[in-house]
Amino acid sequence: MSPGTRGSGRGGSARAREAREAREARAGRAHGLLPLVATPILGLLVVPLLALALASSPADIAEAVRDPLFVPALLLSARTTLLSLTLVVITGTPLAWWLARTPGRRARLVEVLVDLPIVVPPAVVGIALLQTFGRRGLFGGWLEALGLQIPFTTTAVVMAQLVVSAPFYIQAAAAAFRRVEPDLLIVARTLGQSPAGAFFRVAVPLALPGLIVGAALSWARALGEFGATLLFAGNLSGETQTMPLAIYMALESDVRVAVALALVLAGVSLLLLLVLRAAPAMWARLDAAALAPTGAERAGTGPTGESR
Amino acid sequence: MRGIAKGLGTRWFRLAGVLLFAGCQGDTDERATLSVYAASSLTEAFGELEASFERARPEVDVTVTFAGSQVLRIQIEEGAPADVFASANPEHLEALVDAGRVREGHVFASNELVVIVPLDNPAGIESFADLVGARRLVLGTPDVPVGRYAREALARADSAVRAGFQAAVLANLVSEEPNVRLARAKVELGEADAAIVYLTDAAGSDRIRSIPIPDEVNVQAAYLIGAVERPGRSEHADAWIELVLSAEGRAALERHGFVTE
Repeated sequence: MSPGTRGSGRGGSARAREAREAREARAGRAHGLLPLVATPILGLLVVPLLALALASSPADIAEAVRDPLFVPALLLSARTTLLSLTLVVITGTPLAWWLARTPGRRARLVEVLVDLPIVVPPAVVGIALLQTFGRRGLFGGWLEALGLQIPFTTTAVVMAQLVVSAPFYIQAAAAAFRRVEPDLLIVARTLGQSPAGAFFRVAVPLALPGLIVGAALSWARALGEFGATLLFAGNLSGETQTMPLAIYMALESDVRVAVALALVLAGVSLLLLLVLRAAPAMWARLDAAALAPTGAERAGTGPTGESR
Repeated sequence: MRGIAKGLGTRWFRLAGVLLFAGCQGDTDERATLSVYAASSLTEAFGELEASFERARPEVDVTVTFAGSQVLRIQIEEGAPADVFASANPEHLEALVDAGRVREGHVFASNELVVIVPLDNPAGIESFADLVGARRLVLGTPDVPVGRYAREALARADSAVRAGFQAAVLANLVSEEPNVRLARAKVELGEADAAIVYLTDAAGSDRIRSIPIPDEVNVQAAYLIGAVERPGRSEHADAWIELVLSAEGRAALERHGFVTE
């Protein structure tokens, strides 16, 4: 099992991998209690969703899907979360890059501000948005003068989603950008790349797995958004009633429909999260195939470039 | 295999139950308990009655849980330890009576609807007929009692006020709120021009103005109370119901805007 005897003929990467696997195996043995501690939390995360699935029959789900609230809510959720995710990525990526590249207290303060909406209860976010963009809000007078109304519109739905979901993407993207070796960017610049070129052709591809995980988290948070939407945007089918709101409203009329709607939402989300999780690996495989001749060298540098 | 696992599970569950029970008995003092589940709109009135009940019977510890009637009904159906259920809607209590979970229902109060507007009244609503001028109207969802009653009132207004009234008003509906307090909040914040809520909710806020709804249009919402049937239920449930139906109970309810016979 010694890496030296088997790995010597096969180059550095295989040896490094075996050594790492051996280390991991030792670490695993050292924590024999690990499953005992980890299983309850895993159970708590998964069992309630399983119970949800067990509580619904296919007939219940068929009935829920035929509910007049279902299709408008699903379409509205899809439309608004895609829009909010796009806006989060477009505006959040430069901010994350700045946070990752800027030392000092000011950037750390901005980082804390970015985190704030995660801590603040969503209902409070909703009230805060009303007090900013509502009729009597900070910008209420200006918006009224321009003839713009934000509360009770689909725009308000997207804004609520932006506020609650952007922090997840920005934090993940900043962490991913921090793992990009600054030397690589300097090399790219010396090879004639503009700052934008270095960013898009070196930093973004290297950070991509982290960016995708962040986007997935952020999207999932936007999809589940409830409290801020209810307060800031209200609840009207086709206008502002997203899936979580439709589920809550169904609870008032028929619990079975609510449960089945929740299952549909959970199912769709699971599928999309799986795809997003698989995407970086697929990307890496495509990348490796494209760069086949230099594959060995890249693998050799793997451990240093890998996430810490 | 499955049978064994199930049997084992049940045994552990029972053991845990016995231990928990023993633990509870050892810890608590000798006070009896009474658990009252009540609709949110009863918060203030039942809060007063709780203090009065405990003063009269110091040996009983009363806890009152307030939530939407629908939520309370689901909890009681799922076996929540309630001794008394007070519902803002006959349907929820009657469903539990039919299921054998509640002994019988007594009507103890009723509530009616009013229109509320922000203090600055941006849409200039002075009467029920002015409701068509509300550019942003908020109601309860059609599934919560307050939303259903409001729609009933609007439907009656088609003949009582003028034809097409309901459609004209609903054309300006911007949000259907899951409970009456959220509908009121939208008006308190000045975001909605008007909402239709219970008289009791209007009475509980000084940030809104209320406009009466004519009797020929208005809806009486009956509140029902009943004792919950469950093993180990409190023997004081009937005493609580008697208090609510007594002159003192009626006075407390009327102080908070309810109508009692």
